[in-house]
Amino acid sequence: MPYQPIPLTNMPPDGHATSPTNPAAQSHAGAGAGAGVTINADTSAETSDPLATKTAVDSLYIHVPFCFHKCHYCDFYSIVDTQQRQARFADALICELTQLADQYLLQPTTIFAGGGTPTLLEPIHWQRFLRVAQTLGILNRIHEFTVEANPETVTDELAHILATGGVNRISIGAQSFNPTLLKTLERWHEPANVQRSMTRLRNAGINNINLDLIFGIPGQTLDNLADDIDRALALQPTHLSCYSLTFEPKTALTARRDRGEIQPIDTGIDRDMYAYLLDRLDDAGYDHYEISAWSKRPPPHPPTHSPTLYPHATPAHVTSPTLPLAATCVLDTNNTRPPIDYRCQHNLAYWRNQNWLGIGPGAASHINNQRWKNLPHLARYIDTSPTPARIDHEHLTHAEQQSELLMMGLRLRDGIAIEPAQFPTHTQQEIQRYITVKMLEYHHNRLRFTREGLFVADCILADLIPS
Amino acid sequence: MSHTHIRNFCIIAHIDHGKSTLADRMLQGTGAMDDRNRREQTLDDMELERERGITIKASAVSVEHVYNGQNYELNFIDTPGHVDFHYEVSRALAACEGAILVVDATQGVEAQTVANLYKAVDADLELIPVINKIDLPSAQPEDRALQVEQILGLDAADCIFTSAKTGQGVVELLDAICERFSEPKGNPEAKTQALIFDAKYDDYRGVVVYFRLINGRLKKGDRIRMMRIGRTYHVTELGKFRPKMTAMSEPMEAGDVGYMVAAIKTLDDVNIGDTITLDTDPASEALPGYQEPMPMVYCDFYPSGDTEFDELREAVARLHINDASYTYEPTSSEALGSGFRCGFLGMLHMDIIQERLERESNVSLVQTAPTVTYEIELRGRVDDLPGSVAGSGTGKHKTIQITNPADLPDPSTILHINEPIVEAEIITPTSSIGDIMKLCEQRRGIYKSQKFLSDDRQILEYDLPLAEIIYDFFDKLKSITSGYGTVDYQLKGFKTDNLVRMDILVNGSKVDALSVIVHRDKAEFRGRLLLKKLKEQIDRHLFEIPLQAAIGGKIIARETIKSVGKNVTAKCYGGDVSRKRKLLEKQKKGKERMKRIGTVDIPQKAFMAVLDTSE
Repeated sequence: MPYQPIPLTNMPPDGHATSPTNPAAQSHAGAGAGAGVTINADTSAETSDPLATKTAVDSLYIHVPFCFHKCHYCDFYSIVDTQQRQARFADALICELTQLADQYLLQPTTIFAGGGTPTLLEPIHWQRFLRVAQTLGILNRIHEFTVEANPETVTDELAHILATGGVNRISIGAQSFNPTLLKTLERWHEPANVQRSMTRLRNAGINNINLDLIFGIPGQTLDNLADDIDRALALQPTHLSCYSLTFEPKTALTARRDRGEIQPIDTGIDRDMYAYLLDRLDDAGYDHYEISAWSKRPPPHPPTHSPTLYPHATPAHVTSPTLPLAATCVLDTNNTRPPIDYRCQHNLAYWRNQNWLGIGPGAASHINNQRWKNLPHLARYIDTSPTPARIDHEHLTHAEQQSELLMMGLRLRDGIAIEPAQFPTHTQQEIQRYITVKMLEYHHNRLRFTREGLFVADCILADLIPS
Repeated sequence: MSHTHIRNFCIIAHIDHGKSTLADRMLQGTGAMDDRNRREQTLDDMELERERGITIKASAVSVEHVYNGQNYELNFIDTPGHVDFHYEVSRALAACEGAILVVDATQGVEAQTVANLYKAVDADLELIPVINKIDLPSAQPEDRALQVEQILGLDAADCIFTSAKTGQGVVELLDAICERFSEPKGNPEAKTQALIFDAKYDDYRGVVVYFRLINGRLKKGDRIRMMRIGRTYHVTELGKFRPKMTAMSEPMEAGDVGYMVAAIKTLDDVNIGDTITLDTDPASEALPGYQEPMPMVYCDFYPSGDTEFDELREAVARLHINDASYTYEPTSSEALGSGFRCGFLGMLHMDIIQERLERESNVSLVQTAPTVTYEIELRGRVDDLPGSVAGSGTGKHKTIQITNPADLPDPSTILHINEPIVEAEIITPTSSIGDIMKLCEQRRGIYKSQKFLSDDRQILEYDLPLAEIIYDFFDKLKSITSGYGTVDYQLKGFKTDNLVRMDILVNGSKVDALSVIVHRDKAEFRGRLLLKKLKEQIDRHLFEIPLQAAIGGKIIARETIKSVGKNVTAKCYGGDVSRKRKLLEKQKKGKERMKRIGTVDIPQKAFMAVLDTSE
């Protein structure tokens, strides 16, 4: 499909859309994942007064609710849209973004577009959105911009538009390579299209690619899982997310289970599968950095004679479809950068309880201990643009903040640097108790789960959290 | 009003046959209550009574009714129909000359109908049989009237047909009361004797005493004496129930039913069945009283959750002011800490007390499985026994009574264990008779007799161990007879059987609150069932938990609760945080409601698993 830029009528004309690489992005890139909350000196210097009082946002989430079919395990807000509301949705999304850019210091270091199926949004709308984001300066400090993709929907055209628009990471919902198991999940895609999609993305210059896999699917065996992992590893993703199948309330899958149509796998097998993943992916060169996330391990000793690399928005004009992975990363010339980090920076922001804004129907936000969600309703979202109705607003109490710190932070294999004294006596005692039974440990002065503790993290967390 | 125009009567019936609704309708019929102020079941004061649709306490009302152009004063007393509250019924009967016997037109004569009738006949009361609920499509009024004649020996022609729901027949009933019941006996000129038939506690006025004046007079300002306990009080308020308590300035005289307030601080100072007389001019002897209600079943209450022992103590004592028919004394358990051992009239009474404690005092508690009183005959003479209640010597062996299996002394010192036996009357459809007999035999019953009530109904009489009745007899009876079978029973005495204590070990440690006394022949079966139930109740832990049932040192059944294999949230991103946190908080809350014994968290429900007999 041919595409051409169609600026939104009320947007300022786009002055420099062809040059996504900009000085600000380069100068901030090295700040790393943890630098979200404070406004970088450069930025504050150039925005001395009104902006300085605005809340800085570390991360931006974009919810694209369209799906061509609702997978049976999915509990995210999504709709199979037959009304061709894409253009109006994109308009509303752009308006919401514009509005928030005015309200907040919206120069996030990470962006994540999830869904639904973001890649179902037509390329022309993606292009409009990305150009506006560029114009608003939202991409200025970006380290990582991920878009979720369904293997069936990645076209050369879309890959190109995303890559040139600043997207530098794609997360593909592979789930499984076994057609029978995909059928159980009611996941409609051709396993072979995972590889085709990856080739198209790499051709367009996006090499930082995650594969989502689901294990513990009813009927799945350990051999099936090993087979899925073989096939996933053969595709050389930079990141793997392996999720134990969860029967979320109000999903078709849960209803089928409750009707007795499908039988959840035995927790013993589920445990074996997770144990298998821990060992197998470690052997394959992936670091387990969060309960369900593995990132490709950086080379142990980066050669000093060659520049260290880090993933970054790849300017379209320097992209060659055949370049090896390293060459698609932006060169770091002063050689003081940290080594390549393929961990999902956006998700790290969640797990570190940083500030993020969500746009689109059903998207959640977390700013300075306030949480809220946009009403998950596309029609209302369009009608109320640019200020969609917000629901589930909560202001976190101190105890809730502490609970979230533990709940989210302990998901990370690095754990959290905590001062036990900051927690209630009960929490301190429980921490000590679980250290004694070797479910928790201090590792480099950070509290974390032991391997044994990982399997039963929720049981332990329920004991740890303050009442 | 002349005493020739006063009628004192009570309403007796099987549970759920419509007594309270009929009483309400009679109040309306007499104009004592207009429709606007009508609240369902006015006589059922307690929130719990109205919710469960049952009467727990006897309750009294006085109203006026015009019959043959003359004013009559009708004093009626609503009584509970449940077997647990028999003693309330007999108290009410003693204050009346007549009784209305209510029979459900759809269900006919039931076990408590018979039991209550016998009581009324024993008390020498006149009777009016009433067939109620005739508005229901399934009502068979004529058939039920015939049953009343055949089974109860009352003339079918005397039956009055009513619908408490529509009001049909209620005026006829009120007329019949005036016509058929006799005026109160008793002599106003004799020395004052008033029978206390109930008492309740009022936060503002202290104890309110319900009485029937049998002889003599009473007025506000009188100095009265409780004959049995000898205390004297000053009457500050005297009145009638119309339908709510209404103070009166004129004196009351023999035949009147009313209430008095006399600055009595606790219900323990009032003995139901005691006689009130005037301190200045006392009667020479008291009226024949009632027997003290006997607790039949016992269980422990322990504080749980946020509730402290002191809060529980306060709640238990406060409720006792309102319902003196349950007993309590401090106890302690290794597993559950300090609590109270409480005695109840029956299982329903126990449920009600537990619910009222939680509801009215907002305490959270763990209830252990109910047990009965056991008599333990000991070998030789033993003077000092741990954990025994008042011991008594029978013949050459010392006997102690225990109400808690954990208190059972060392088996080597025990000669016999005797358990309470009840005489049970079971009314059942003929079609279920075989299954009911099988049930009674399984429950160690001894067959006594079988009587035909009608073509399709029979009365079975069995002697049954009370422990079997509280275990699951009601549920089984109801399920075998599709709800049509009913049972009534009374204590007969104690009997020796081959009884043993079965202990339950969770993760190797004995949980004393789970110990039960069982028949030796049934121990394995009960043990296996109990462990299976416990296994369902106790969540998986991070480690494997063995469950064992043991008699003495011998393990007779075992189960294992597997450890949690895996319990970890797979995904937790931006939109999930609140929900996941709330799930964790819920998981934590669930644990907080449990009792941690050793390293195992046992939910409160598990302590009742002993009673859960579904297989």
